[in-house]
Amino acid sequence: MVAIATLLWRAIRPPGAAGVDVVRGDLQRALARWTRAPATEMRVVFDAAPDPRTRDWLHALARAGGSVRWSSSRPIGPAAVVAEPAAKPNGTTRVRLVSASGEAVSVADDAGAIDTLPRGGAREMELGAVAGAVRASGATFTATSEARDSVVLRSVLVLGAAGWESKFTIAALEERGWRVASRLRVAPNIDVTQGPLGAIDTARYAAVIVLDSTAASSSNAIARYARTGGGVILGGRAARSFAGVSPGRVGARVAGVAGAVTSAAPRSGLGGFPVSSPGADAVVLESRDGVAMIAARRVDAGRVMQVGYDETWRWRMAGGDESAAAHREWWTRLVAAVAYAPLVPRASGMTSIDETPLASLVDALGPPTPMDGRLATPRDNSRVTWMLFVLVAASLLVEWTSRRLRGAR
Amino acid sequence: MSFPPFALPASRFPLPGEFVFATAQYESGDWDSAPLVPANLIDSLARYTSLPVAPTGAIVALASDDLFRFPLVFLTGHLPVRFTEAERTNVRRFADRGGMLFVDDHNHDIDGAFHKTAVEELTRAVGPLSQLSNTHPIYSAFFKFPDGPPNTSHELNGWGDNLVHSHLLAAMRGDRIAVLYSNKDYSSEWGYHPDNKRFLAIDNTKFGVNIIVYALTR
Repeated sequence: MVAIATLLWRAIRPPGAAGVDVVRGDLQRALARWTRAPATEMRVVFDAAPDPRTRDWLHALARAGGSVRWSSSRPIGPAAVVAEPAAKPNGTTRVRLVSASGEAVSVADDAGAIDTLPRGGAREMELGAVAGAVRASGATFTATSEARDSVVLRSVLVLGAAGWESKFTIAALEERGWRVASRLRVAPNIDVTQGPLGAIDTARYAAVIVLDSTAASSSNAIARYARTGGGVILGGRAARSFAGVSPGRVGARVAGVAGAVTSAAPRSGLGGFPVSSPGADAVVLESRDGVAMIAARRVDAGRVMQVGYDETWRWRMAGGDESAAAHREWWTRLVAAVAYAPLVPRASGMTSIDETPLASLVDALGPPTPMDGRLATPRDNSRVTWMLFVLVAASLLVEWTSRRLRGAR
Repeated sequence: MSFPPFALPASRFPLPGEFVFATAQYESGDWDSAPLVPANLIDSLARYTSLPVAPTGAIVALASDDLFRFPLVFLTGHLPVRFTEAERTNVRRFADRGGMLFVDDHNHDIDGAFHKTAVEELTRAVGPLSQLSNTHPIYSAFFKFPDGPPNTSHELNGWGDNLVHSHLLAAMRGDRIAVLYSNKDYSSEWGYHPDNKRFLAIDNTKFGVNIIVYALTR
């Protein structure tokens, strides 16, 4: 009778707190059990960073009042991956990846493998097309990201005198898909124009490229444009007219190395005006013989880049076989680095984005806690139930046997 | 080696930022048949624009790497044109990289040797030539030519093939002109000393300015 009563009690009793419960490996059953009957302290040992669903479930248990502590059987590698649209007109996705654990990391999307980093580290890659989410997987983590925004790219405005540099700058950008508007000075008060021209503001232009001093009369408007978030590239000597926003001053012209445009370092063959005395907040992006040739700085909400080279067209025309493509790509990268490119969220069915597995785990459950004592196996209440059932069945059998034997006498 | 007036070897032009009018030198034919054209166009460019321009034109061999220092090159002649393999390769690369070759038939003769051979060679090098619309931006790049290419006195006098050519021909790269081809004999029309421009009621080199400004801006 006691066993039957116990069985009944176990069947109808409300869930109550148990003691310390330690689980490793497959957590799904433990999670279900803890949800029905939270233990006083729930301890988890991970072999790898948990997936977001498991992590969120544990976080919910902790938020519901339980004590959740975790540790790992081996160090979980800190890693992060992020996919975002590049500020380029060809719809590329920029993937930035960093892994500090030293373990091999493979990068893949839904269509298959993309790249492998044998020892982890940092990598930035631009992908022309991405199928679904981008996953970076190591032995102890899988980080997942997906471009959740689309980028709005407006025209690029090119200002300067008519000449080979302006012509080939426009050509390079147009060939890479940028919409370009231009105002090129040909004679006093005579400009050759192209594309939509209007007030210089971020509603109209993603970036403004000033190639020389002919746009000096617009310097105030361009500086205001930069401060409100616009991107400005000052080429050659143009920075002289933009002292308030330029990353540095304009140095004395240096000549390129003769014949070097066909070498592996083609820009060493280009002459230009170095960035002299870069400001404290300027970042030098390219140097040659210790002299800054490209520098950039933030100006309020915008970015201004000073490019010393004033004859990049020679690289395109006189360089090696790939020089035209390299020249296009180089100008595209410069513009993309400063362009005003607002993001617009796009609908996504992606629910398992997990860009920083370890950081998210720490954020959800706190730092790992060393486990004290031996790991217990999950408590199996079904064994007690089975024992009670056997006891009841045996009692019934004994009772039945006893009655049969009494009747036989 | 002697050079025609108003022109120097390409290697004499190291100056950055200056427009240099370049004439193509090719192995076959008479590449130097219009020696006064460069000076005349340089004069017009300096007269009408504020663009920095070298006072002397350059001569550049089509087969030479120097070709890529001059993104606009003028080519003319009367005689049959046969490019060498090096010239053909260079012309193709030049066009692919964004250079513009302006070719004028000094014969003004659509059945003539220059026209037939030059068109053949250019087709082999850069692809077929087709009629350029008379509303193309080159006709409004600086001066306005609403009727397309201006006629030359040689056309109007009935010389050559006795035709007034209504269109220029072009080979394109994207929406840019890679080769501009004329049967109108601008080489004769513009082949006079710049000082004599003062005797003209209307400067007939204005379309040459358009070609240069177009090349510098598109």
